[in-house]
Amino acid sequence: MKPGDDRAGKTDPMGGRPGGRAGSVSLRLRLGIAMLGPLAIAALALGLFGWALISDVVRRTNDRVLGGALGAIAETVEVERGEVTLDLPPAAFGMLENAERDNVYYRIAVGRELLTGYADLPAPDIATLSTEEPRFRYAEYRGQRIRIGEVRRDLPRVSGPVVVQVAETLDNRNALRRRLMTALLVGEMVLVGVALALIRPALGWSLRPLAELRAAIEARDTRAAPDLSPLQTGPLPAELQPLSRSFDRLLTRLDDATTATRRFTADASHQMRTPLSVLKLQVALARRGSDDALREIDEATDRLERLLTQLLTLARADEAGTLPPLEQVDLVEVSRRTISRRIRQAIEADVELLLDDEQDAAFHVQGHRSLVYEMLSNLVDNAIRYNRPGGKVTIALRKDEANVHLIVSDDGPGIPAELRAQAMSRFARLQGENGPSGSGLGLAIVQSSAERLGAGLALEDAAPGLRVIVTFPA
Amino acid sequence: MRILIVEDDAQLARGVVSLLRAAGHAIDHVANGEDALSVAATEPYSLVILDVGLPDIDGFEVLARLRARGDRVQVLMLTARDGLDDRVRGLDLGADDYLRKPFDVEELEARVRALGRRRGGDAAPEMRIGAMTINRSTGRVEVGTRPIELRRREWAVLEALAARAGQIVSRETLQAEVFGFDDPVGSNALEVNVTRLRSKLAPDGPAIRTVRGVGYMLDRS
Repeated sequence: MKPGDDRAGKTDPMGGRPGGRAGSVSLRLRLGIAMLGPLAIAALALGLFGWALISDVVRRTNDRVLGGALGAIAETVEVERGEVTLDLPPAAFGMLENAERDNVYYRIAVGRELLTGYADLPAPDIATLSTEEPRFRYAEYRGQRIRIGEVRRDLPRVSGPVVVQVAETLDNRNALRRRLMTALLVGEMVLVGVALALIRPALGWSLRPLAELRAAIEARDTRAAPDLSPLQTGPLPAELQPLSRSFDRLLTRLDDATTATRRFTADASHQMRTPLSVLKLQVALARRGSDDALREIDEATDRLERLLTQLLTLARADEAGTLPPLEQVDLVEVSRRTISRRIRQAIEADVELLLDDEQDAAFHVQGHRSLVYEMLSNLVDNAIRYNRPGGKVTIALRKDEANVHLIVSDDGPGIPAELRAQAMSRFARLQGENGPSGSGLGLAIVQSSAERLGAGLALEDAAPGLRVIVTFPA
Repeated sequence: MRILIVEDDAQLARGVVSLLRAAGHAIDHVANGEDALSVAATEPYSLVILDVGLPDIDGFEVLARLRARGDRVQVLMLTARDGLDDRVRGLDLGADDYLRKPFDVEELEARVRALGRRRGGDAAPEMRIGAMTINRSTGRVEVGTRPIELRRREWAVLEALAARAGQIVSRETLQAEVFGFDDPVGSNALEVNVTRLRSKLAPDGPAIRTVRGVGYMLDRS
């Protein structure tokens, strides 16, 4: 990052400019929203669970104290000479004293008959009362909710079971539960608050590799020749590696395209230089009164024109953009058009141009008419150019079950098998004794067009001459 | 002087050949590197105009092989490429000069003349032999104050002899330097040109001596 570059640095490393682009939501907001919902639900669940747990613990501990007091009282119940006696131990009630000053009630009865205590304390269902374990329950008494602990003792020689009950109001339990719940809720709130407060620094820290990546990308954004080599970053987190890889792939593709374009431009300008040299030379000679100069200038101009046309055709055939939808191309019609385009050239070169199309058969392929036309036109141009006076150029159309073949053969010197691959490369001009001045683009155009049309291309020896076979899927 | 043009583009070669022929040089043309190497081995060229882009071996390779076998002929590279690297590479390989296509005709002519002058070890355009002044840039020859009109063959003979004034130049060498492959040469064509040149320089100019059975020599004074 450049110093003083206010696009970087001042804002946080994730590049969340205030507001950002209209309609975009900052990562922080997204993450905040994404975290807040689950956090709230978790907090609520924890609260409910905490409430249940705390209630249970509070109930158990207080019940245990209540049970202790109950047991202490119940133990003093005895039978003396057929009479039930008891000695209320003060310690039992001391156990139940607390800061909330809960009211404590008790009732001891033999069967339904009150022995001592509060007569109106709700009586238990004696039949289900255990003699071992005290039973606890809630009840209403004097307008307040109370917790009653009760136990039964069966004593010998007594008319009925002895029922001991101890009860307390719930203020202490409620207060305790409230305190614990408050502590829990405060804890939860602190947790959520800390989590939300940490989003910003956490995001900043986690997104720092992204900022590094951005810096690496921004460093490429120069006016000078763009550097399209893979990005140089430190080790990236796993999440960013696909991004970096995709970017590198994009760079590589861009680099390939740029290289191809640059090479093409260099080749093209290279190709223009020779006919331009001829032009300059012949213009100078014309000034000096050379008789041949005008004819040479004429020829050089034709060469330049043809070269330009071919360069444009090649550029078009190379274009990676979308092609119009496939259309039905009538090869007979295209061949006839090509012949009428090339016939003058053929006559001048003393070459016969003919179409061999198996009378009345139709040759239709799926493709792009203009591409097929340019391809065939270049094939025929080559065939005329590299022919011998009195020779023939034949466009033949053939088909079998699977394919339609477009065959152009000539009577020229042909291309030796070992040079055929080279012949199709750009600006390749095979050695020929004072051969015609070709641009070396003809076969390259044919190959590029065939590729785009999904057609096969083969060069064969026609003995003598060259046979070029373009194979379209039928 | 005798110049070899190595250029695969037939049309450009035709133009350069007719341009330099008109300037009085004996020109041969080949269209590929192997041919260039084989004719350069046998013919006494003063200058090779060498295109870089050749169909078989490129111009750099031709140059490298020429220098490797000790051929010190002057080489003017012609290239259609833009890069500085190419220029540096050509010069490093031993090219004497370098011209980029498309070139100006005047520039090509001037460079050819300059390279021709350098052949005698003296790059100055004016050369003085006795009362004769030869301007190798303009092609003007004067004896004293008297301008001498020369035909192009006579000029070629004078140029070849003047470059080695005071030394005997063999008949074969002179023949080879003055006439290209394609020049229609009669058996006594060289003789005829030498004789005509001799009479044009006389009486006050330097004499051209015939050394019987060996060759010719231009007097230093």
